[in-house]
Amino acid sequence: MPEIRVTPLGAGQDVGRSCILVSISGKNVMLDCGMHMGYNDDRRFPDFSYITQSGRLTDFLDCVIISHFHLDHCGALPYFSEMVGYDGPIYMTHPTQAICPILLEDYRKIAVDKKGEANFFTSQMIKDCMKKVVAVHLHQTVQVDDELEIKAYYAGHVLGAAMFQIKVGSESVVYTGDYNMTPDRHLGAAWIDKCRPNLLITESTYATTIRDSKRCRERDFLKKVHETVERGGKVLIPVFALGRAQELCILLETFWERMNLKVPIYFSTGLTEKANHYYKLFITWTNQKIRKTFVQRNMFEFKHIKAFDRTFADNPGPMVVFATPGMLHAGQSLQIFRKWAGNEKNMVIMPGYCVQGTVGHKILSGQRKLEMEGRQVLEVKMQVEYMSFSAHADAKGIMQLVGQAEPESVLLVHGEAKKMEFLRQKIEQEFRVSCYMPANGETVTLPTSPSIPVGISLGLLKREMVQGLLPEAKKPRLLHGTLIMKDSSFRLVSSEQALKELGLAEHQLRFTCRVHLQDTRKEQETALRVYSHLKSTLKDHCVQHLPDGSVTVESILIQAAAHSEDPGTKVLLVSWTYQDEELGSFLTALLKNGLPQAPS
Amino acid sequence: MDPECSRLLPALCAVLADPRQLVADDTCLEKLLDWFKTVMETESSLQLLQDHPCLMELLSHVLKPQDMSPRVLSFALRLVGIFAAQEDCFQYLQGDPSLFVASAASQLLVHILALAMQGGASGSPTREAAAWPVCAQKIVNHVEESLHSKATPQVTQALNVLTTTFGRCHSPWTRVLWERLSPSVACLFERDPIPAVHSLMDLLLSVARSPVLNFSACGLWEMLAQTLNRLSPTQAGPLALGTLKLQHCPQELRTRAFSVLLQPLACILKATTQAPGPPGLLDGAADSLLTVDTLLSSKSTCVGLLCQTLAHLEELQMLPQCPSPWPQVPLLGAAVTILRLCDGSADPSSSVGGRLCGTLGGCVRVQRAALDFLGTLSQGMGPLELVLEVFAVLLKTLESPESSPMVLKKAFQATLRWLQNSHKTPSCSDLSADALLFLGELFPILQKRLCSPCWEVRDSALEFLTHLIRHWGGQADFREALRSSEVPAFAHQLLQDPESYVRASAVGAAGQLSTRGLQAAPTSPENPQAQQGLLMDLMHILSTDSEGFPRRAVLRVFTEWLRDGHADVVQDTEWFVATVLQAVSRDLDWEVRVQGLELAQVFLIQAMGQPSLRCPYTVGLPEATSPSPHPEFLQTLCRLPLFEFAFCALLDCDRPVAQKACDLLLFLRDKTSSCSGTQEVGDNPSSASVEAVLQRWREGEQGQLLGDLDPEAMLAILRSLDLEGLQDKLAKSSDHVEKSPQSLLQDMLATVGILEENEADCY
Repeated sequence: MPEIRVTPLGAGQDVGRSCILVSISGKNVMLDCGMHMGYNDDRRFPDFSYITQSGRLTDFLDCVIISHFHLDHCGALPYFSEMVGYDGPIYMTHPTQAICPILLEDYRKIAVDKKGEANFFTSQMIKDCMKKVVAVHLHQTVQVDDELEIKAYYAGHVLGAAMFQIKVGSESVVYTGDYNMTPDRHLGAAWIDKCRPNLLITESTYATTIRDSKRCRERDFLKKVHETVERGGKVLIPVFALGRAQELCILLETFWERMNLKVPIYFSTGLTEKANHYYKLFITWTNQKIRKTFVQRNMFEFKHIKAFDRTFADNPGPMVVFATPGMLHAGQSLQIFRKWAGNEKNMVIMPGYCVQGTVGHKILSGQRKLEMEGRQVLEVKMQVEYMSFSAHADAKGIMQLVGQAEPESVLLVHGEAKKMEFLRQKIEQEFRVSCYMPANGETVTLPTSPSIPVGISLGLLKREMVQGLLPEAKKPRLLHGTLIMKDSSFRLVSSEQALKELGLAEHQLRFTCRVHLQDTRKEQETALRVYSHLKSTLKDHCVQHLPDGSVTVESILIQAAAHSEDPGTKVLLVSWTYQDEELGSFLTALLKNGLPQAPS
Repeated sequence: MDPECSRLLPALCAVLADPRQLVADDTCLEKLLDWFKTVMETESSLQLLQDHPCLMELLSHVLKPQDMSPRVLSFALRLVGIFAAQEDCFQYLQGDPSLFVASAASQLLVHILALAMQGGASGSPTREAAAWPVCAQKIVNHVEESLHSKATPQVTQALNVLTTTFGRCHSPWTRVLWERLSPSVACLFERDPIPAVHSLMDLLLSVARSPVLNFSACGLWEMLAQTLNRLSPTQAGPLALGTLKLQHCPQELRTRAFSVLLQPLACILKATTQAPGPPGLLDGAADSLLTVDTLLSSKSTCVGLLCQTLAHLEELQMLPQCPSPWPQVPLLGAAVTILRLCDGSADPSSSVGGRLCGTLGGCVRVQRAALDFLGTLSQGMGPLELVLEVFAVLLKTLESPESSPMVLKKAFQATLRWLQNSHKTPSCSDLSADALLFLGELFPILQKRLCSPCWEVRDSALEFLTHLIRHWGGQADFREALRSSEVPAFAHQLLQDPESYVRASAVGAAGQLSTRGLQAAPTSPENPQAQQGLLMDLMHILSTDSEGFPRRAVLRVFTEWLRDGHADVVQDTEWFVATVLQAVSRDLDWEVRVQGLELAQVFLIQAMGQPSLRCPYTVGLPEATSPSPHPEFLQTLCRLPLFEFAFCALLDCDRPVAQKACDLLLFLRDKTSSCSGTQEVGDNPSSASVEAVLQRWREGEQGQLLGDLDPEAMLAILRSLDLEGLQDKLAKSSDHVEKSPQSLLQDMLATVGILEENEADCY
C-alpha cells in the first residue's frame, strides 16, 4: 500500500527546532535541520538516532531541504553533515545559501565565546557543510534523482525563505517552512499555486491569533523610541544580525528622515554592510516597492544608521543602538545592557523571542534584580519592552494558504499543541480534509491511492469526441473500454480492438428476467399493451412491435406468455445484452409496477 | 539541594501538575531533569522524596490518565526513572504513540526490571523465571505478549526493551531471560514479512555482545546465521557488519557475514570481467545469494545497496576486527570498476555490464561512496598496474566536466591519500616515480580547477594544494613539477576571489607557497619585491577584508611565519608586529583579536623565553629565575604598543579575548618580576581591579596617556593588577549564573501565566 509518512524530530507541537522527516513513495526527505537555542549541549540538535537506528544517514536520506536561514531551521546542519556524517545533497534557495553560513558562523562564535565549548562545530565544518549545498531558484523544478523532484515557492518571512513542493510520481507534499501572507516593508507575501498536494505541512505559530495591523505595532514602536530619545534616554535593540534587524532599520531610517531627527542610530558589528550587500544582491527577493525605488535610492543604504564603536556606549546623551546577539546572552548587546540598565530614562526593546536562562528571557518575564558574575546584583531600572516583529502568517493567513494549495490533508507543525488543536478543528470543518498535529517522534501515516498511468487508444478517444464530449483538463471523466495489461504497461482500448489484438471471438452475454402481470387478456394483447406503454414512456428510445408479437427496445427483447397454472396471470420474458444493462434494469423495474389501465 | 531551591520547588511542582498552566518550554524540563540528576549524585533519592513531598504528589498526579501534556508526562516518566520507583502505569504508557514517551517508558521498564532482579536475585542466578519477583514477572509477561502481537509497533517496543536490557544488564539472570524469550523471538523470523527487522537485528547483536551468555548453548549463532540467509541483501548488510564487529564469534559465521558484505561487489566484478580475468571476490563460494539480476532489478535498489556496501567495507577496514586476509586486490579492482561505470569509461563487455553502465552512469551517490572507499583502500596499496589504474581513474574524475563539486572534493581527498601512501615504500621517502608522473598530469588539471566557476571547487582545489605543499614542499622533484606549472600564480590570484571562503584558503595556500619559497614570481636576488608583495597583500587583507575567515587565515599565516623566522618577518620584526597589532586592535571579529594576542605571545616568547612551568611539587624550591629582559625590549613593547593592546583586551566584551590577554600579561609579569620598579600604582600591589586601573589611566591620573607608557609605568600597572583574580573569573563560562538551578526555577515560575504572546513567537 503506498503511503506518506511524516515524523517530526523537532517542531512537532513546539517551536524549538524544525526537523521533519517525510517518506514519500519510498523516498526519504528531511525538511529543515534546526537548532534549539535553549540548550547548551547536544540536545540543541535533533536526535538523529531516532531515524538511523541501524543504518547510515547518507544511505537513508535522499536529500535535505532547508526552508530559510533562521537557526531554528538550519542551525544543526554542520553538526548533521560533518559530525553525524551526512554526505548527500542539501537544497536551499540562493539567498539562504549566501546568508546561512554567516548566521551559523555568528552563532558558533557566540557559543564558543560564552562557554569556550570545544565540542561545537568549527568554521571549517560550516564551510564543508556549505559545499554540500545545491542552490535552487524559485519555481525551478529540481530533479533530485530519477523519481524525486522538488520545487521552491516564495514564502515571505525573511529574505530567501521558501516553501517546497516534494514530488514523487503523482504523490506530493508541500512544506511551508515559516511564511507570511502579508507583505511587509521589505518582503512580499507568500504565494503557491493550486498544486493540490496529498499533504500540506504548514507552520502554525500564530494558529489562534489574528494579528493586529502591522501599522499599529510599528507606530507603537516608533512612539516608544521617539519618546525615550526625546527625554534624553538611550534605546538598546538587541537583534540577530540579519532578518528582522533590516526591517526595523528601514522603519527607523524612514522615521528619522520624516521627523528630521538628529539623534544618532548605531548598528554594531559591521554587519550592516554585509546585510546591505546581500539585500542588493538578492533584490529580486524583496517586495515590489523596494525593487521599484531601488534605481533611485537603495533602501538598504542608510543615511542615519552608522557603525557602532565600543566606546560610544559611554557617550552622554540620547542614542539608539542595534546590537547583537538578540537575546542579551553574550557579547556586545549584553555589555551595553549592563552599562545602561541602571538608568530609568533608558529603554531596551526586545523584538523577538528569548530562551530560558538568557538575560533577555529574565527581563521579559519581569525579573528586575539580576544576579551577574561575581555575586553582583544588577538592578534593572530601564524600561523593558517586548514588540513582536516576527513575520509569520496568522490564523487567517494559514487558512488562506490551505485554500490556495487545496491539499488532500494538512499537517501542523511549529506551534503549540493547544493552539494547533483549535486550528486543526477549524481546518477540518472548513475544508473537509483531515488535519494532523503529531508530537515530536510521533509518526503520521497517510495512505495514498496508487497512481497507475494508463494509455488510451486514439480510436477510443476519437469515439468519445464524436459524442461531443471534449476532454477537459483536471476534470475526472468516465470512459468505457477494455483494459489491456501487457509488458508491464496498461492501455485502454475499445472492446473491438481488444478482441482483434488478442485474437478472441466475441460472445454475447444476455440477462433474462421474468415479470408477472395480472392480465386476463390474450398474450398478443398483453404484448400490445406493453408496446403502447413503453412507446409512451420511453420517448427517446426505439420501441418496436415485431410481427412475431414480441416487443424490442434497443437490444431488449420482451415476449409475453401465458402462465402455466394461473390463466389470470401473464408472464413477460425480458432479456437484454450486457451493454444495455442499465436500460434493462430500468425496464424490468418499470414493468414490475404494472401496466396502466386500458382506456376501455 | 540548597535552601533557595527547596523553597521554590513546591510552587513549581504545583505549576507542572496543573494541566491548565502552560509550561514555559521543554528545554526547562530537560534542564530540570539535569539538575535532579546532579542532586541525586550527592543526596539519597529517598531522602529527597521525603524532604520534598511535593515531588511525590506531582508524580502520582501526573501519572493518572488525564489530559496531561506529553512533555510533562515524558518529564515525569524520566523523573520516575531517576527515582527508580512506581511501576503501576507501564501498560498505559507502552501504548503511547509518541516515540519519545514510549522510549522513556521502555527505559523505565528496564530500570525497574534490573532493580527488581538485583534486589531479589540473592539465590541461584539461574533459577526459574517463575520464581522471579512479581514485578519482574509482570514485565517479562508483557514483553512476551508484545512479541506475539500482530501489531508491528508493539513488537518493536518489546524488542527495544530487550535490546536495552541485554545492553545494560550483564547479570546471570539475563541468561534465564533469553532462554525464556528466545523462542518467541525465533518465531518472528517465521513471519512473512519479518516484522521490525532493524530492532530485531539490534536485539540479536545486543545479546551477542553480552558477556554472560553461553551462545553455543543458547543457539544464538544459528539464529544469526539463519537471519543472514533469510534477509534481503540490503537488510542483511548492517547485521553482517555488526556480526563482524563482535569480539567472540565462530569463524564460520564471520566468513558468512563477510561474504554477505562482499556479494554486491563480487557481482559487479563478475558482470564486468572478461573471463579469464584476475581473481574475483568469492570465486569459490557456492551459494551466491545475490545475482546480478536482483542487483539490477531497480536503480534505487542497486544504488542503495552499493552505497551501503561500500560504506560498510570502508568502516570495516579501519577496525581492529577487520577480516584477514583482506581481499585488497579484488576490492581495489571493484572500486575502480564502479568508478568507471559511474563516469562512463567502463567498457561493457557483456550485456549485463552494459545494463550496469546504464544504471550507474552519472550516479553521484555511488561515485561519492566509491571515492571514499577508494581513499581508505590506499592503506593497503596494491600491485603497480592496479595503482596506476587508481591514479588514472582519479585523474579522469578530476578532469571530467561532469564531476560535481562534492565528487571533486572527494576525488581530491582520495588522491591525497593515495599520494601519501604511495611513497611509503621501504626504499625511499620521496614521491615514487609513478606519483611524480601523476603529478605532472595533475597540475594542469588543478590549474583548471582553480579557475572553476564554482567556489566549492576552487576552494577544494586550494585546500588540496596546501596539503600537497605541506607534505612535499621540501622535495626537489615536487618543487620542480610545481614550478613548471602555473598553479602558484593561479593560487595567488585567488587572494582577490569574490568568495570569502576561497580568499581564506588562498591566503593559506599562498602562505605555504611562500614558506617553501615556491611563490608565483620566483624570488631571485634581483627581484625581492614579489615576496614583499605577498606580505603587503596579506596586510591589506587583514586590514580591509569584510569577512572574518580571510583575516583569520592571514593571522594564522603570520603567526607561523613569525614562529618559523620567515625572511620577510625577520627583516623588521618590530614593524611587522606593530602593523599587525594595529590592524587587529580595530577588528570586530574576536577570533582575530585572540589570534592577534597569540601572535604577540609568540613574539614575547621569542624574546623572553618559554613560560616557566608552575609545577605544584616544586613549591619551596628556589625558582630558576629567568634572566631579566633587556630594558630596550621593554621600550619596544611600549612603543609597539603591545602592552596597551593587551591591556585593552583585558576588558574585551568577548571572554576568550580577555582570557588570552590575561594569560599574556601574566606571562609578561612573570618574566619581568626581577626588574626593579620604583613606581607603584595604588597602595596594594596586585589588588586593584582592572576596570579601576584602566579608568584611572584614562582619566590621566598618572599624567600619562595609554600608548605613551614608559617601561617603568608599564611594570607598575602590571604589578598593581589582580590578574589571578581576573583569570579565575574568566575561567568560568560567562553564563554560569544563568545556568544555576535557582535561575532555572525562578525563570520557570516567573513565566507562568504571562507572556503568552511571546511564547508563541520564535526567531
